[in-house]
Amino acid sequence: METMLTVESLGKSFKETRVLRNISFEVKKGEIMAILGPNGAGKSTTIRNIMGIMYPDEGSITFHNYHDIPRNKIGYLPEERGLYKNVKVMDILLYLAELKDYPLKKAKERALDYLKKFDLEGKENVSVEELSKGMGQKVQFIASIIHEPEFLILDEPFSGLDPVSQDIFKEEIRKLAEKGTAILLSSHQMNLVEELADRLFMINKGQKVIYGTMDEVKTEYANFKCTIRGENEKSTLERLPEVQRVEQDGNTSILYLTNNVNPATWIKHLPEQLMINELNIDRITLHEIFIDIATGKRGMGKVGESNA
Amino acid sequence: MRNTLKIAKWEIKRNIKNKSFLIGLFLTPVIFILFMVVPSLFSNDEEATPTNVMVNDQLNVYTELEALVDQSEFNWNLEPTDIRESDVENELNESEDTAYLFIDERALGEGVVPVYMSDEIDSFFINQVQLLATPIQAVQMEQLGVSTDELAMITKGITFTEPTSEESSSIESGGGMTTKELERMVPGAFAGLIMLSIVFTGMAIFQSASDEKKNKIAEIILSSVAPAELMQGKIIGYFALGIIQTFVSIALVLPVLSWRIDIPFMEYLFVPELAILVLIALLGYLLFAALFVGVGATMADISTAGNFQGLIMMLPFAPFIFIGPVFGDPSGLMAQIGTYIPFTTPGVLILRLSLLEEWPWVEIIIALAILAISAWLCMKLSGKIFKVGILMYGKNASPKEIIKWLRA
Repeated sequence: METMLTVESLGKSFKETRVLRNISFEVKKGEIMAILGPNGAGKSTTIRNIMGIMYPDEGSITFHNYHDIPRNKIGYLPEERGLYKNVKVMDILLYLAELKDYPLKKAKERALDYLKKFDLEGKENVSVEELSKGMGQKVQFIASIIHEPEFLILDEPFSGLDPVSQDIFKEEIRKLAEKGTAILLSSHQMNLVEELADRLFMINKGQKVIYGTMDEVKTEYANFKCTIRGENEKSTLERLPEVQRVEQDGNTSILYLTNNVNPATWIKHLPEQLMINELNIDRITLHEIFIDIATGKRGMGKVGESNA
Repeated sequence: MRNTLKIAKWEIKRNIKNKSFLIGLFLTPVIFILFMVVPSLFSNDEEATPTNVMVNDQLNVYTELEALVDQSEFNWNLEPTDIRESDVENELNESEDTAYLFIDERALGEGVVPVYMSDEIDSFFINQVQLLATPIQAVQMEQLGVSTDELAMITKGITFTEPTSEESSSIESGGGMTTKELERMVPGAFAGLIMLSIVFTGMAIFQSASDEKKNKIAEIILSSVAPAELMQGKIIGYFALGIIQTFVSIALVLPVLSWRIDIPFMEYLFVPELAILVLIALLGYLLFAALFVGVGATMADISTAGNFQGLIMMLPFAPFIFIGPVFGDPSGLMAQIGTYIPFTTPGVLILRLSLLEEWPWVEIIIALAILAISAWLCMKLSGKIFKVGILMYGKNASPKEIIKWLRA
């Protein structure tokens, strides 16, 4: 796949605080790349640097095939977003298309198509202030893709949407990627990212934590964990083989297992004196990885090493 | 530049479609007209009811009286009459705004002239009529044997007066303005009007910049255009709106003006001096527009404006401080100081040039240079503030932060 955007060793400081440090990743044609991270991790700052709304202190941002930021080929849905209040939906869509140098006639057709698709048929002459929040968000989404961008940046596209609208958005984003649009998406809704993204870049406190394809990340980081209900000493559990760390809450203990554990063999070797009322083994979800990182249970670099 | 024009076009379109802008567009000149017309409706219309003054003259002073009344511009209808004093009551009952004067031996002997007035008569009449004492006094003195020369001396009386220089003597005492003054005043007033309406529209820029923040659309727009283009687009857009406002105002006010006042405005308006006056107004607009767009970007909402921002909003009204001194002496020290302070330059300079007969070209050129440079500087600085401020959603910037952005 053709690489569309390369971000290399990006760094940025506000006053004395470093908000971004050595951020490097690529976005390819037709893929959905997700930037994940807790609030304040630096996702929006990274995106604003890519968009040229802020300027990085260090590093480079390269749009391949273009010298400068190809503003007319980028669609952008910022995290903090809104629309002019007292104008008609169609007027603002056409204005934003015009700013991208997109032919107005085509823009009008596409606007009507998308309004219909997003269940906003007949709303084109309604004033923006009469729309609900969700409707407004749909209009903003249409505005970001009306000019058929080659490159689409969506900062928290799902925030504030109901599940039905989330699905419509998800489907549309997927379709755009299939048609060859390179999509960079930031979110902290892990389940949605897990379903959508081809690759992900996890960031915390301005630094890279994980970067790779969804499958790589899952095999590498989403280790098995074993949940046991029963009264057991924490130290006993910690002495078991292949256990990285143990979390205990009353009678429930969660054992985080090492990467290359074979669940079947591991269960076979559990000591007989262990109290087991209930036992299940499953993989750590992206959600849990995320929370572990956000709450600082996992360090940077290799997951789990520091807690082993 | 293309993006700038697109944004300018959008701002114009958005406002033209906006009801409150449209209402303001027509309401401003209408209010202006009301201010002009309403007071004159309440004041007494002089031509409507002149006072009839009937004179029963037995001392042969009627000609002198007539000359005196002509000179004084009283709204009187002076007429001789032979009516007898005993019949006056009946006559007065049937007439309005009429007075009868009986100038006879009593005036010479007792110094009293009986005046019979109808019920409804100008309240100033009894004061005005005192003027007629002079010719009667003259007759009185003639009879007493005073010579003509002595008489002239006495009747001239003594007045306290300031020796007048030649310049100010050109200002006619009659209350009207000379053609020359009008030639200067009309373009000046026109430039002042342009300046005023674009400064007011300039304030809308400020609203627009802070709306961009409030509505959080700035980042979407900035993904397509550079901050400088957005800012310039707004400045140009609102300039066009200001011009529209000016022309609508003129189109509405001018017919009323020429109906109320008998002056050939058009002839006086299109003189070469107008170009310079309009240039001053234009530069003034650029200065204030740049200022407002920058300040607007630092504020989340007008209602939350801090003292600092409020102070800047008052700057366009700074020339009012100089109005008094400039009228007093258009080439005086205060007038010159006002000319060289960028924020008061446009207002003071336009006012001065409307008053001065000889234009101080050196001062004009220096002032224009100061104005142009400060407009450019203001544009640069506002650009810096705008770039950062417009993305600070929901927050007002403190002066400290603003200074930091300026240094960046």
